[in-house]
Amino acid sequence: MGVTKNMKKLGGKTDLTYLALTVPATVLFLIFWFVPLLMGLHYSLTDWNGLSSDFNYVGLQNYLSVFTQKRTRNALLFTGKYSLLLVIFVMVIAMLLTLGLTYVVSDKMSTFFRSMFFFPAVLSMITVSLTWNQIYLRVLPALGEMLGIDALSRSVLGSPKTAMWGVLFVNVWQGVAQPFVILLAGIQNVPQDQYEAARIDGANSWHLFTHITIPYMIPTINVAFVMVLKAGINVFDYIQGMTGGGPMQSTESAGIVIYQMAFFENKAGFASAFSVILLLIVAVISFAQQMVSKKYEVGQL
Amino acid sequence: MKTKKLPIKIVTYAVFIAVVIVILFPIYVTVITAFKSPEQSAGNFFSLPTSLYLENFKEVMSDENFGYYVVNSLFVAIFSVGLTTLMIPMVSFSIARNKERKRYYQFLYAFFVAAIFCPFTVLMVPVAQLCGKLGLMNQGGLILLYAAFALGQGVFLFTGYFKSIPLELEEASKIDGCTLMRTYWRIVFPLAKPMTATLAILNTLWIWNDFQLPLIILNKSAKMWTLPIYQYNFKSAYTFNYNLAFASFLFSIVPMMLIYAFFQKYIIQGLTAGAVKS
Repeated sequence: MGVTKNMKKLGGKTDLTYLALTVPATVLFLIFWFVPLLMGLHYSLTDWNGLSSDFNYVGLQNYLSVFTQKRTRNALLFTGKYSLLLVIFVMVIAMLLTLGLTYVVSDKMSTFFRSMFFFPAVLSMITVSLTWNQIYLRVLPALGEMLGIDALSRSVLGSPKTAMWGVLFVNVWQGVAQPFVILLAGIQNVPQDQYEAARIDGANSWHLFTHITIPYMIPTINVAFVMVLKAGINVFDYIQGMTGGGPMQSTESAGIVIYQMAFFENKAGFASAFSVILLLIVAVISFAQQMVSKKYEVGQL
Repeated sequence: MKTKKLPIKIVTYAVFIAVVIVILFPIYVTVITAFKSPEQSAGNFFSLPTSLYLENFKEVMSDENFGYYVVNSLFVAIFSVGLTTLMIPMVSFSIARNKERKRYYQFLYAFFVAAIFCPFTVLMVPVAQLCGKLGLMNQGGLILLYAAFALGQGVFLFTGYFKSIPLELEEASKIDGCTLMRTYWRIVFPLAKPMTATLAILNTLWIWNDFQLPLIILNKSAKMWTLPIYQYNFKSAYTFNYNLAFASFLFSIVPMMLIYAFFQKYIIQGLTAGAVKS
């Protein structure tokens, strides 16, 4: 009897210790993540300007306005188009680099290429943006002059028609690195004997790629794809560092508009509603990813 | 299984070398321009510097607040990473050992992991408000924010890791009469070293390079800026002297290049683990 009592006492103390270990993280998380999230949801239902102490509740008016006002609608469209292009370019390039590194380049050289291709990932996005901004501004015209190419002397970021492409290029320049190493980790799971068996059956390289490589890599591709998509939807640093949303608001992403409206245009309520819409979009995409992952995990068993 | 077809090999190597050139081009331009005077750059932009011209660096560093930027960046990175390294294994250990039998820990896990799906943009406005009200529009506030925002991914990675660590050592230590707290510090925390290192590297890269959070939290005075904010804000000051601009970029690129050279393996592992498991 006494022993059980002691054990219980000890167990109770252990449980208390377990609980104590969660306290610092939980408190910090509640204050700096959960409370702000609730505050954001609250702001999104008001016409609060971000400064004054009074505001009115406007219901879902802000949410409707995001879709009806030209600037926010354009920002949504821009973000969608930008994310789509980013995903296409990054995924195709990352996949080609992965295939080349795995199936063509010698083992010795592949170590060198891998560390080169991954290098941009360790730099800060804002430094990369500012550096490329200077390159677009000074270096490309100088290069054009040297080579006698007129097109290079025109500023890519200065025209509303080309600015997005200038930003996108820099984003791809840095953004390929991480999906690339993820795909590289994933391609190691493709069983080699399947290739050999298929070869004997007379399959060509394209068949091998579409029928063996891709199916085995679906879980990894799924992860990399969603990562790039989220990076596109949340794009901020590259644009802030290169165009600031211009020229003529032609590169205003959702993140840029939210920042501008909340911190410079006294539209904190409206900006919050826009950000909650962004949260919903990301949540839906993440949920879809989970579903796809689950399906393929089951499929493989 | 490597291909033996020569044309494919030639094309692949050619493309790969072209990609390497595109990756190194901005680095090359940054280095050569930072070491040249404006006159030398005007003469020939792409030539290597003929002499070791250090005036650009001297001028960047002569900014009266330059010391603050460096110290602020270091201070914020060290304390945020330190805090996450202490806090995340603790809470993840509790969750991993209790998740299966207690609702509360299950809920706690879901609560933390939900943060992975939350874009920062959603928190931008309220976080600035909250820190303003709490008097935390400073480095201290920034450190607490990083520690809080690191929890989602950290708890996710660590809980999975602790589940994979066998329980025998913990149980043996318990039988020896150690309290759970003692067991944690003497057995569990040291065992988690590889994961702790991975997470510390991931978070150091993120925090050292981050722009968005200090942009809204540290905008009261220039003395508060971290290096990325300094670079951004001096964009306009360098309009007429781009040699200076490139010199200032080098201050941020070189440390990262060195870290990459020494810890490449861990960085790649960390960034792959961080993404694949979430």
